[in-house]
Amino acid sequence: MAEIAFYGFSALSIGAALTILFTRNVMYAALCLFLTLLGVAALFVLAGADFLAITQILIYVGGVLVLLIFGIMLTYRPDRESNQKKNLVLTSHLNQFWGGLVALGIFGVLFWVILNANFMIIHSPQLAEFTPQRSTLRSIGVHLMTTHVWAFEVAGLLLLMALVGAAYIAAQREK
Amino acid sequence: MLPIVLLSILGLVVLFLGFQKSKNLLLPATLLVLAIVLVANFLHWNDMPSLYFKNMLFENKFTMAFSGIVIFSAFLIVALTRGFVDDESAQPAEYYTLMLFSLVGAVMMIGFENLIMLFVGIEILSVSMFILTGSDKKNLRSNEAALKYFLMGAFATGIMLFGMALLYGATGSFNLTAIKGYVMANNAPSAMLYVGLLMLLIGMLFKVSAAPFHFWTPDVYDGAPTIFTTYMSTIVKTAGFAAIYRLLSGSFSGIYSFWWMTLAVITVLTLLAGNITAVYQTSFKRMMAYSSISHAGYLLLSLTALTNQSQSAIVFYSLAYSIATISAFGVLMLVAKETGVHSYENAERFEAFNGLGKKNPLLAFVLTVSMLSLAGIPLTAGFWGKFFVFSSAADRGLTWMLVIAILMSTVGIYYYFKAIIAAYMREGELSAIKVSPFYRLILIATTIITLVFGLMPDFLKGLV
Repeated sequence: MAEIAFYGFSALSIGAALTILFTRNVMYAALCLFLTLLGVAALFVLAGADFLAITQILIYVGGVLVLLIFGIMLTYRPDRESNQKKNLVLTSHLNQFWGGLVALGIFGVLFWVILNANFMIIHSPQLAEFTPQRSTLRSIGVHLMTTHVWAFEVAGLLLLMALVGAAYIAAQREK
Repeated sequence: MLPIVLLSILGLVVLFLGFQKSKNLLLPATLLVLAIVLVANFLHWNDMPSLYFKNMLFENKFTMAFSGIVIFSAFLIVALTRGFVDDESAQPAEYYTLMLFSLVGAVMMIGFENLIMLFVGIEILSVSMFILTGSDKKNLRSNEAALKYFLMGAFATGIMLFGMALLYGATGSFNLTAIKGYVMANNAPSAMLYVGLLMLLIGMLFKVSAAPFHFWTPDVYDGAPTIFTTYMSTIVKTAGFAAIYRLLSGSFSGIYSFWWMTLAVITVLTLLAGNITAVYQTSFKRMMAYSSISHAGYLLLSLTALTNQSQSAIVFYSLAYSIATISAFGVLMLVAKETGVHSYENAERFEAFNGLGKKNPLLAFVLTVSMLSLAGIPLTAGFWGKFFVFSSAADRGLTWMLVIAILMSTVGIYYYFKAIIAAYMREGELSAIKVSPFYRLILIATTIITLVFGLMPDFLKGLV
């Protein structure tokens, strides 16, 4: 049963990702991105990473994707001259040869790595606490407030900086 | 780890100072903050190397020296912003705060012990650079540069993060010492470890603009406001090289034979691409962008060698390079402002320096010393920088790379001298440029530092 779910969700993610790659319609691409992210979230659930799956849905599906669709909506200028045409936002494909070559290269390397990987769980104290039956939320919370508290704090600085930068770029000049 | 805490808190204070009507207090306040941080950085100089925040950050003389270079460079660059901020009639509080916060990222990249810290540090530095690159909002080239930098940078970050995940998968830890322990225990590294290291290095080499990941550099350095080009080509590069050195020497020195060839190929490509393309540039600013690629090549040469001397060699080289770059761009900013009233495009060409030597002997002298230092002519700090880098490569026996590096540094002399020739031998209608006393003081200081380290290199080399 778990295998059927795994292959089903994998096919969903990969199929939707390929559609993003080949479609020229930006709206379709955004909707397919939604399917891809949802499929990946399901794969996280199957791998026992419940927190990651919820975060994926909250941040990417709930936040980033809505932002993306708003972005398309607000930057799109409809063609007023011809009302007959459909309102499509189309992209064009450039540099297909080099882009394809780099992508194939990265794919080949990762494929080779995954084939050669040894997926035994490494015995380290951090991983020893991990038990797939229980929720991972508790140990993530404890680590975030103890061993990784500094990374957590500094991520706040990163967000503050992004906020200052966004306000600066969006602000109108006085003159 | 006082600098990180101080920079974060005092950065906020500077941001709040921006609420005041008068903006005159901002520059002195920022300089004061940087001076305090610089002093705080060296407070623990004589202490033993130590770990901070649950093994997240590491501090020893090497990291303190590098943080010192980064903070000192930032001090000099902020001191040169005076004219820039007047022109822009912008919100200087935001500029200064972003600069201070970006230094937090730089210091974290230098002192990381955990790969998570490296990642957050690189992100902080990069995000602030994306914003500062596009800060000249009315200039189309600045916008283009920011967008290009952002897209390429995001892609490189993705690759780097993938590399970190693979390293974690292979070794079971993000900690440098733990990774070193794993590498020592398992003599033949797995495919996962090797590819993880490679992807992590690609991401970091992108940030220091090594070939073949340098394609963004000329456009971004050319399009960004000159003051932030200076910032990028000194601070981002210095912190990036410190991070690569920490990573390679801290975790992977045990499997030197597995990665040195990859790094050697990248080094040679960087040296060739940077120096040969720089010859054909007509814009001084674009030439400096390519020259920064070539300097990345010399620093990579020392990293490829990775001997006991590499550490002090890259400290010295980074300092010499940063100081010379700051004074060169400092002169360019003055000259471009003077000539660029009508034609912005031509202001940054070599011809802008024509006749500089007649009316502005001080500026011409500062430019000459910085060019000589970048070219690696004796009696300047740049010569000793190159000397230490080359001697560390010679210790490892990398003779063929050494030959290429020396050939390329002679090519470098050609394009650096183009600026000197323009300043002294060409006729031009450049009038005397009014330089504020403070600006003059900074330029004289950078020139004196370059000359002093050129005469007495042991002074600094003995410290680290």
